[in-house]
Amino acid sequence: MGTNNIVECKNLTHFYGKRCIYENLNFEIPQGRILGLLGKNGTGKTTTINILNGYLKPRSGECLMFGENSANLSPATKQKVGLLIEGHVQYPFMNIYEIEKYYSAFYPKWKKEAYWELMKLLKIDPKQKLSQMSCGQKSQVALGLILAQDPELLILDDFSMGLDPGYRVLFVDYLSEYARAESKTVFVTSHIIQDMERLIDDCMIMDYGRILYQQPVEKLLNDFKRFRFSSNGQSFEGLEQVMHPVTIKGKTEFYSFEKKEELERVLTYSGFKPTDIKEESLTLEEAFIGLTGKY
Amino acid sequence: MEKALLYKEWKKTHVFTLTIGVIGIILMVYIMLKLGRSFRMAGMEHLWDVIVNRKQFLFRNLKYFPIATALCLGMAQYFPEVIQKRIKLSLHLPLPEKKVILLMYSYGVGILTIVYLLQLIALLVFSGINFPYEFTINALLTIAPWYIAGFITYLFVAAICLEPVWMRRILITLLAIALIYLFFLSDVPAAYQSVNYLLVVALVMVFPFGFYSVQRFKEGKQ
Repeated sequence: MGTNNIVECKNLTHFYGKRCIYENLNFEIPQGRILGLLGKNGTGKTTTINILNGYLKPRSGECLMFGENSANLSPATKQKVGLLIEGHVQYPFMNIYEIEKYYSAFYPKWKKEAYWELMKLLKIDPKQKLSQMSCGQKSQVALGLILAQDPELLILDDFSMGLDPGYRVLFVDYLSEYARAESKTVFVTSHIIQDMERLIDDCMIMDYGRILYQQPVEKLLNDFKRFRFSSNGQSFEGLEQVMHPVTIKGKTEFYSFEKKEELERVLTYSGFKPTDIKEESLTLEEAFIGLTGKY
Repeated sequence: MEKALLYKEWKKTHVFTLTIGVIGIILMVYIMLKLGRSFRMAGMEHLWDVIVNRKQFLFRNLKYFPIATALCLGMAQYFPEVIQKRIKLSLHLPLPEKKVILLMYSYGVGILTIVYLLQLIALLVFSGINFPYEFTINALLTIAPWYIAGFITYLFVAAICLEPVWMRRILITLLAIALIYLFFLSDVPAAYQSVNYLLVVALVMVFPFGFYSVQRFKEGKQ
């Protein structure tokens, strides 16, 4: 295991039938970082999470967590990994007391205060079963259980699924504060990128069959911009610096990692007249669209 | 940890567990009352004629109880685990995965054993009071395949529920139906006397099926 890398995925290759999801995928998660996995549907987010959790055997390659192959984690390593399953899956036949009692038996560092602090926010009857709770309430129970487990690594699969904005913000605030205060390592996916922006340090953006980008979010938002200028409808073919250009009624919009001055030079050289080119900063969601395209 | 896992199984299935326990007791009481009535109305001579000459088995109402209870308990225990792939929660617990499945099995087999033992004790006491020793032994040999079939049914339900591949689910179900059918081929008392050990062998062979299903689930087979 590399220095301080909690997770290391090496040369992951996976196919569903003949369809290649990705080949030779490599990434690491250093200790104390919050890594967000972003990608359109079908790019392999769930596949990656499943391999990482040991619920999918890749065609080749391996994922190491704390130096152990994720397919065969020892009980001691499992104790260090908190897992949130997509949809905040938990046992619906238990109430909040029963489920806390159940999980506390498995984790020696159990911090019940962390769980009950979150439960206080829920306006529920203490005897109410999880099956009778809303999706948002269930998400708080699932998060509370993970925080009480006090794991070193948290893996959260689509945590915002089914949550209204209030619960999403609550979830992100609690998780973010906890992870940063305790220097926890987090691997998270969500289809709502606004939530990720407030939470993650690093982003890994997946496209079909490969990783498009893996860097700190701050670097992405500093380096990657949107540009607009008036154009005459010329083709951008061969201009590698120009990503996903769209021209509507003489107004062109595109994305690029290049500086404005360099783009002006390149565009002028290619026959454009970018006299009114404007640079715009992006949110993470806009950067994601800029990198992956709208469709 | 083990106790906590058994507690979870109890929370999940206690309604079914208590229901099958109560139904088991009611069934035994019904059989005893019915036979008691026959003793009084038709007399022991007539009953003896039915048992010896017509080869009728007095406890035949028990026949499908073991597989019905095993089916219900197995479904109550394993079906919730496959909804939303909830079994992932159990497999992620800091215990060896085989031990987790073994503990789940132990709970189900343990509950069935208790329910079956209650019936067996009631039957032994009732038969011991009313019939000769040979009849009681004969009765035990007759019901043995039904109860072994109960345990086999439970193991098959676990394997079918935990199996991630639909085609394999269907194949295991067909195999289960075919195998369990063999346990009910004859109504003649003690008909399986000479092959009861083969039924136990079948039980042992079905035991690992659930573990194979979990292994396939872990590999992400679909």
